[in-house]
Amino acid sequence: MSQKITETPVSAPPEQEQPQAVTVDAGGSRLQNNIRNMRLIIVREYKAQIRQLSFKITTVIFLLLVIIGSFVPTVVQLITSHNKPQQTSVRVVNNAGSVAGLDNASLSRSIGTILNGASTSSTPTFAITVSSSDELASLQKQVKDGKLDVLLVLERASDQTLRFTYYSNSNAESDGNLSQVQSLVQQLNALDKMHRLGLTQAQIGSLYAAPNLSLVDVQPKSGQDTRPESEIVAGYLLAYAGDILVFIAVTLYGMGVAMGVGEEKGSRVMEILVNAATPLQLMVGKVVGIGAAGLTQLGAVVVIGIGAFLLQIPLQSVLFGPHGGNLTLSVTSAAIPVLLFLLLYFILGFLLYATIMAGAGALVKRQEEARNAVQLPLMLLMGGYIAGEIGVYYASSTWMKVLSFIPFFTPTTMLVRIAGGQVAWWEIVITIPLMLITIALCAWISARIYRSGILMYGQKPTLRQLVKLMGR
Amino acid sequence: MGLVLEHIDKSFDQFRAIQDLSMEVKEGTIFGFLGANGAGKTTTMRMILDILRPDRGSITWNGQDVRTVTRRNWGYLPEERGLYPKMRVDEQLLFLARLNGLAKQAAERELNDWLERFQITSYRKKKVEELSKGNQQKVQFLATILHDPLILIMDEPFSGLDPVNANVLREAFFEMHRRGKTIIFSTHQLEQAEEMCQDILIINKGQAVIQGSVREVKRQHGRNVVRLKLDNDAEASWLDSLAGVQVTKRRQDYIEMQIQADLNPNLIVEAALQHGGIISRFELAEPSLTDIFIERVGAAAQPDAPAVLSA
Repeated sequence: MSQKITETPVSAPPEQEQPQAVTVDAGGSRLQNNIRNMRLIIVREYKAQIRQLSFKITTVIFLLLVIIGSFVPTVVQLITSHNKPQQTSVRVVNNAGSVAGLDNASLSRSIGTILNGASTSSTPTFAITVSSSDELASLQKQVKDGKLDVLLVLERASDQTLRFTYYSNSNAESDGNLSQVQSLVQQLNALDKMHRLGLTQAQIGSLYAAPNLSLVDVQPKSGQDTRPESEIVAGYLLAYAGDILVFIAVTLYGMGVAMGVGEEKGSRVMEILVNAATPLQLMVGKVVGIGAAGLTQLGAVVVIGIGAFLLQIPLQSVLFGPHGGNLTLSVTSAAIPVLLFLLLYFILGFLLYATIMAGAGALVKRQEEARNAVQLPLMLLMGGYIAGEIGVYYASSTWMKVLSFIPFFTPTTMLVRIAGGQVAWWEIVITIPLMLITIALCAWISARIYRSGILMYGQKPTLRQLVKLMGR
Repeated sequence: MGLVLEHIDKSFDQFRAIQDLSMEVKEGTIFGFLGANGAGKTTTMRMILDILRPDRGSITWNGQDVRTVTRRNWGYLPEERGLYPKMRVDEQLLFLARLNGLAKQAAERELNDWLERFQITSYRKKKVEELSKGNQQKVQFLATILHDPLILIMDEPFSGLDPVNANVLREAFFEMHRRGKTIIFSTHQLEQAEEMCQDILIINKGQAVIQGSVREVKRQHGRNVVRLKLDNDAEASWLDSLAGVQVTKRRQDYIEMQIQADLNPNLIVEAALQHGGIISRFELAEPSLTDIFIERVGAAAQPDAPAVLSA
């Protein structure tokens, strides 16, 4: 045993390492080193993220959803156009003699006006035929066979009141024509009674004249929302959708960051990483890498979504003729800035929450625990999301104003306010440095936790310990 | 010069993990860091790497505070292996080597070289989690050395390796040694330390128990041990009455005894011949590190015995 010692090459190392090989980081190269390391980490994180099975699955699901979503209006239109024949055929059998003093031809015109309104289309919704007592049995058979939609029989009771019988192919619950028939019958009945009471045409006309109603909005108008109605509606829709999108995306990718940090801790790769890179480099690299992967996913969804949406125009013109499609691609002037702000606040919101979640992830022992650790930031985010959704209706209220300046809530609430069109430009501008400062602060705190959390594999730390750790 | 630790203290809450630890690792040597589980080996290594900071004391490399030594000069193999489980072997190693400052081409060259040497070229496209434990260990070792650090700190690098892989790793150790690297590794396989290290330190409960060169340590614990085997007299009961000799073991293959330092071992041979013994084995042995370890750490483990050491 002992003689083996001599086997070890005790001799001086052949290549004498020059002592100055060990040097302190030169100040000038530090920034370069930072950028180099961050780039390496970003690329690694990006690749690791997009290669994950769960990432691929969510991408496929998102793409399917957006494709299905953009086809829905066309499909709905297709189904309804097939279900409903172009015209509803109405047969009125008049066994009551003159109704409201009209002969059959005038009666047909009046009914047409009542059912179709003032439309002068060559193919009105209702095609009306009026005749006197004939082939009732064969007409009933036509209703039964679906060749005739509405069969209305008019008779006069002994007290001269009109009596109506409506033959239909469907029961009362599912009959789409019932309400029109009811209102028609009401009007015919009224007209007939007025005629029998001896009112003149002019008197009847004045009875049916539209009442003089004027609408006064007592809601105070703060600011001047001079935008057309369609823009306001589009803005609200965008605010709703943007709020949901920011919430889902930040949750999803923020969780990805926390899980990634948890993985590094669980697999102990962190121990060798901190020797090679600073905690801040590691954290920024992870946040940006996963964020970039998230933007890639969202970008793919948006591009495919727009593509599928644009596809509907030629598709609809094929299906319904050149002017048959009712799809209007109206990107109003208000929508574009909202979309840009959506991107801005998504990025800022993600950076803020992802840095917090990275710090939370550094506190766990194993990857599975990351889910619990991010609950607090998730609740904050959820709060902002709910405030935003409610705030769509209170875009100019004071509490929305206050919330929109608190960085944790800015992404969701400011977006809604912008869509509401009641925000001064300086209000938007001021939120950006506010958020950036908060992000920097959170990044600093998270990096401290990261630095100390690496070796924390024990129980959950208390708040006091956390503060102590950060002081190191 | 080399790596010098002076009067290091480190406590975790009430627990004093390291107490007044001083040690010196000469540049270009292989240094064995020995101790039972929980003795403070990992904590000390983490302090050397500036993952943990000592409460008191200083750690310097060639006179320079280790905190200011460029990170790429260090290579660390943690006790609990740390790699990205779902990342491919080659991508992982290139990433870590480049993160440690190596240029892309140089990193690729080194990688090919070492994969060849370790005979794991066929695994380069595999994910780490798909590899056997032994091969993961080799990859971990490569992650430690690929960026060509000056100082290698390895926490239990041999644990869990089969003899063949352990030998491959041992050869790599010597290769790094030939390249002039300073290697500090912890182990509780004392025979390995005895075989590979120039200097050792035995640590127990956060305190250094013994340190110095392997030879020196043995000489200091130089109660000479004699092993004797007589073909015709397995018991050799006459040994018990011999002055200056104390029989410690009577085994099937030999009898082991301790002799006083000033006793000439020839006396035992003479006595054996006088008793008509046929000698088939006579051996003067130094105590093994295992013996010393058990003796010293066993003693220090006593609650009342203050572990003062000298080497």
